[in-house]
Amino acid sequence: MSSISLRTITKSFGDAMVLDGVDLDIKDGKFVTLVGPSGCGKSTLLRILAGLEATDAGTVTIGKRDVTQTRPSLRNLAMVFQSYALYPHLSVAQNMLTPLLMRDLTKTQRLPVIGPLISRAKRKALTAQVDAVAQTLKITELLTRKPGQLSGGQRQRVALGRAMVRNPVAFLMDEPLSNLDAALRVHMRSELTELHRRLKTTFVYVTHDQAEALTMSDRMAVMMGGKILQFGRPDDIYRDPNSLAVARFVGSPAINTLSSEIDEQGTLTVLGESMGRFSGLSQQSVVVGIRPEHLTLSKTGRFGGMVKHRENLGSDVFLHLVVDGHADVVVVRATPAHAPALAAQVRFTMSSDHLLIFGADGQRLRAEHTTSKVAV
Amino acid sequence: MGNQRAYLWCIGPALILMFLILLLPIFIAAGMSFTNYSLGNTSADFVGLENYEQIFTRSTYAKMFGATFRYVFLVVPMTVGLGLGAALLINSLTRFGEVYKTIYFLPVMSALIAMAIVWEFAFHPTIGIINATLERGCGTFLEGWTWYAKGCARTFPLWLTDRDYAIWTVSFIGIWQGFGFNMVLYLAGLTGIPRDLYHAAEMDGTQSAWDRFCLVTWPMLGPTTVFVVTISFIRSFQVFDTVEAFYPQGGGPSKSVYVMMFAIYEKAIQQNLMGIGAAITMVFLGFVMILTLIQRWLVERRTHYA
Ligand SMILES: Nc1ncnc2c1ncn2[C@@H]1O[C@H](COP(=O)(O)OP(=O)(O)OP(=O)(O)O)[C@@H](O)[C@H]1O
Ligand SMILES: [Mg+2]
Repeated sequence: MSSISLRTITKSFGDAMVLDGVDLDIKDGKFVTLVGPSGCGKSTLLRILAGLEATDAGTVTIGKRDVTQTRPSLRNLAMVFQSYALYPHLSVAQNMLTPLLMRDLTKTQRLPVIGPLISRAKRKALTAQVDAVAQTLKITELLTRKPGQLSGGQRQRVALGRAMVRNPVAFLMDEPLSNLDAALRVHMRSELTELHRRLKTTFVYVTHDQAEALTMSDRMAVMMGGKILQFGRPDDIYRDPNSLAVARFVGSPAINTLSSEIDEQGTLTVLGESMGRFSGLSQQSVVVGIRPEHLTLSKTGRFGGMVKHRENLGSDVFLHLVVDGHADVVVVRATPAHAPALAAQVRFTMSSDHLLIFGADGQRLRAEHTTSKVAV
Repeated sequence: MGNQRAYLWCIGPALILMFLILLLPIFIAAGMSFTNYSLGNTSADFVGLENYEQIFTRSTYAKMFGATFRYVFLVVPMTVGLGLGAALLINSLTRFGEVYKTIYFLPVMSALIAMAIVWEFAFHPTIGIINATLERGCGTFLEGWTWYAKGCARTFPLWLTDRDYAIWTVSFIGIWQGFGFNMVLYLAGLTGIPRDLYHAAEMDGTQSAWDRFCLVTWPMLGPTTVFVVTISFIRSFQVFDTVEAFYPQGGGPSKSVYVMMFAIYEKAIQQNLMGIGAAITMVFLGFVMILTLIQRWLVERRTHYA
């Protein structure tokens, strides 16, 4: 089928290395998200896949075909641009018709004035195709308008429609939701996943918003500094990150990172309390990561802190705690009903099953937890 | 109470200046065009539409319209077309674009009167570079072209003094001088086209430069083109300095280059016939007015751009 694979893609602009040997395999029909902080090279990678940018080294394969040297219009991909890039002088219907005209009509049939006359039947069929897509996207009543007369969300739909009218191998989207307001963005997220389920076509989706990546994709690739740090299911990446950078980037609020020590017996000490023995780890300074939801407020907890800041999200309250004698701020999730007030002293527990240990170089140290001297 | 009149203080000065500088002279000229006024006379006679009647019946003025329209309808399409072509070519360059821009813009900046002297030399029948070059081609395959063969057998045209060639030669100089201006306007228009649109066109399957031009470049240059065409029309209607430089008396061989601006100058200034001069001015104003209205209409029709 039409799986896509990128092999050792390298790209620099002048002296700046933007992509540094990126490998990525995208199975047919998957919704894959490229996510990472601004400037990490996501758009560049997507544009290389589309063919709008040339690679310095590496190959792009679609299906079984090496398309590295193929021009974009022959790769049969569809792209939704962040700016939507609708043709402002054409109506919505004409915008959506354009890809069909360009591909299905001959040169003479596309000529102005006489073109429409000699290809009337064909054009009628193509217009019907546009109407069908407009119906699925619920933009039928917008077909006669110009892009300048549409709202952001409507333009987004039209851009999507223009991509959908033909059957591309894959949809490439570069932050298509970033121009929308928060409510519409959340709504469009679910519409896009719904659309993907229906079309069963490959989606490659670029975003800097980890929440979009987590909620929408089958697979996500976390990029940083021109490299893919980790590629996998959103769940796995959230639960089991390979490096501190990935752990920090994914999840909101961010994971707690606590500087800790492992002694010569392999005992891990976090915030001054022993968390038990871990086999295979030598004496060293490490960083321990633990998600806010894995810290629980409890009157008898082993750890104590003072509430410095409360972040109320309605369904949850995140408490930022200062722990005596430690520089790291600890964020704990609490239910609003039981959330203590500002400046209150609270106690909490930490489950050692969810501890993620990272070495000084930021790489994950995978260690067996041997003695379960779990804190109460 | 006083505050309700405040707007008068804001728009008043502009209104008064506009009236004094723009409208009043037009009204005076309009009034004068119905008289036989001459500068220096204390009074003038009202002659009704006589001046206008002359403009639309006498053969001199038929020649005037002929010369003006020949000039305008050659120069406008050529300067617009060449301006667009040059802009597209320069825009596609990665290097030396600035050099070409400067070269093509030089004629626009130079004084046409000074350049007219250079062209007069170039077109000179015996010592001019143009006919000298053409003579070199004699005896080659170019003689297959009958016009060329005739030129070799006798002489090549006396470009500026032959009444069949004069207006076209003057138009050529107008084109040479004017297209750089349109090129600059088009270059500005081209930089305003979002690059994403070209990428979208590429993703949509356009493969030839022609498709890309039809789908993106030309429509996106629409507003620029309306402006460029209007400006070119008005500039061409106003052609004067070349004619004055080459033919200070009479408007060229058998008045074949007797353009409107020159006619106004000749009648009103040289011959001190203010009445008829004012009448030609009013006709000229009418043309400019029509052009401006067409431009407004086109611009308003396109308000939904972008
Ligand atoms: N045409 C270009 N010329 C020079 N540098 C470029 C060019 N395009 C991108 N870059 C640089 O490449 C790096 C990656 O750019 P890219 O657009 O891929 O980032 P991104 O991950 O999409 O960021 P964002 O989330 O802000 O869109 C940036 O540092 C950018 O400055
Ligand atoms: Mg980007």
